[in-house]
Amino acid sequence: MTTRHFACKTADVLRDAPKIVSVSNLSIGIFSLNDGYHALLNICPHKGAALCEGPVCGTTRQTSDREFVYDRAGELVRCAWHGWEFDIRSGEFLVDPTVKARRFDVSVEGDDLYLHI
Amino acid sequence: MFIVDCDCHNYWCSATVLEPYMDGVFKDMFVRGEKTGPRGAFPHGHRPWFHPEGFARHDVNPVEEDDNYTIMKEKHLDKYNIDVAILTGDEPIEASTLANPYYADALCRAYNDYLIDYWLPKDDRFWGSIVVAPQDPQLAAAEIRRAGGHPRVVQVLVSHGAARPYGDPFYHPIYEACAEMGLPFAMHLGGQGGINAAPIGAGPTTFFWETHAILPQTAMTHVASLIAQGVFEKWPALKVVIIECGVAWVPSVLWRLDANYKALRKETPWLKRLPSEYFKSNIRMSTQPLEQPQNIQHLWATLEAMDGENTLMFASDYPHWDYDDVTKLHIPPAWREKVLGLNALDVYSRLPQRVREAAE
Repeated sequence: MTTRHFACKTADVLRDAPKIVSVSNLSIGIFSLNDGYHALLNICPHKGAALCEGPVCGTTRQTSDREFVYDRAGELVRCAWHGWEFDIRSGEFLVDPTVKARRFDVSVEGDDLYLHI
Repeated sequence: MFIVDCDCHNYWCSATVLEPYMDGVFKDMFVRGEKTGPRGAFPHGHRPWFHPEGFARHDVNPVEEDDNYTIMKEKHLDKYNIDVAILTGDEPIEASTLANPYYADALCRAYNDYLIDYWLPKDDRFWGSIVVAPQDPQLAAAEIRRAGGHPRVVQVLVSHGAARPYGDPFYHPIYEACAEMGLPFAMHLGGQGGINAAPIGAGPTTFFWETHAILPQTAMTHVASLIAQGVFEKWPALKVVIIECGVAWVPSVLWRLDANYKALRKETPWLKRLPSEYFKSNIRMSTQPLEQPQNIQHLWATLEAMDGENTLMFASDYPHWDYDDVTKLHIPPAWREKVLGLNALDVYSRLPQRVREAAE
């Protein structure tokens, strides 16, 4: 059973710079991507660091030998401390998708942004 | 118990045994030129460390060339019921220290012909490692294709002293040839000196025992490089055998590799698995010399962390000064069958069916 919580105004969330809010005693990063808003718990499942305070970036696509294709720009966040890469939409760690950052549903009404916790 | 000895050194009394296998200018250089090696007078860029007692056991004293075999048969093969001995030569891997890759290649070719001609027919238990000079990977690959077709040749051997880490794409023609011939690629401790100028990270150590104890750092570099450069993605069936480089460091290096890869996988987008997974599927470590902590449980816990039951292979290092006999191997008893023989049968896939049946 989730509850809807007001988080912030949509204008507070910039591209490539998540808005960190505190809702229900949880620190949560809200990201703005092409397809809308996404939210992750601001705690890295690796060592508990401030996941959402790391850079929003892309990475290399898995390729065959010695080919470097930079891909997914703006769709990943690297944890602020140890650099693990997480898919902002799914919360999945790229190296091992069974490791997941906790994600929350986001909804928008007018210019108000809500988190479902 | 079926026993495969993965590091059995076939010595010679003098490197002149190679003369019949050389010709042209390189024979001229070999016969008339300066020889830098120890008693066997094999040319190489000499290392700065000298074993104060010599490398060989003092109860192994061949006088005639054939003594090398008869003493090995009596004091090692027969005594310990060795079923398969993978011959690893001795001085020839020092060819990797020479700046002249053409001469180095000629020496390797001569040694390989001598091995096939002189040693392999002597005993049904003998299987050979052909030696190549990695400083010219194209020549090395050609030699793998030339001599590697012999049915009793089971691996390609280089020294672990190298001018650059073995995962470097510079060396990939060697792995291409190994894969094509179905042969594992092995590196044996040695080859310090000459063009392999930096086998020790902080510069030359002083004493032999000190040096010998810390030589594994070169093997650490090769393990990291082979995995990071994607050698096992390009050649998934290739097995790499690391001989006489110690083993207790392996878990710590794998832990570090896995941790760093998790943060920086973007540097090597060709990798699809954790570094430790490539190690477990593609790299095998020889046992000799196993580390000897006062509390054996400390070693066993470490071996367990590297999946030693499946990644270790017995080696005696006959007839060197730190020789291990098979009865003194300090591994968990439940692992003995695999480590003493069965793991090697997976790696040396050329060993024929009758040998495999003997193991069952």
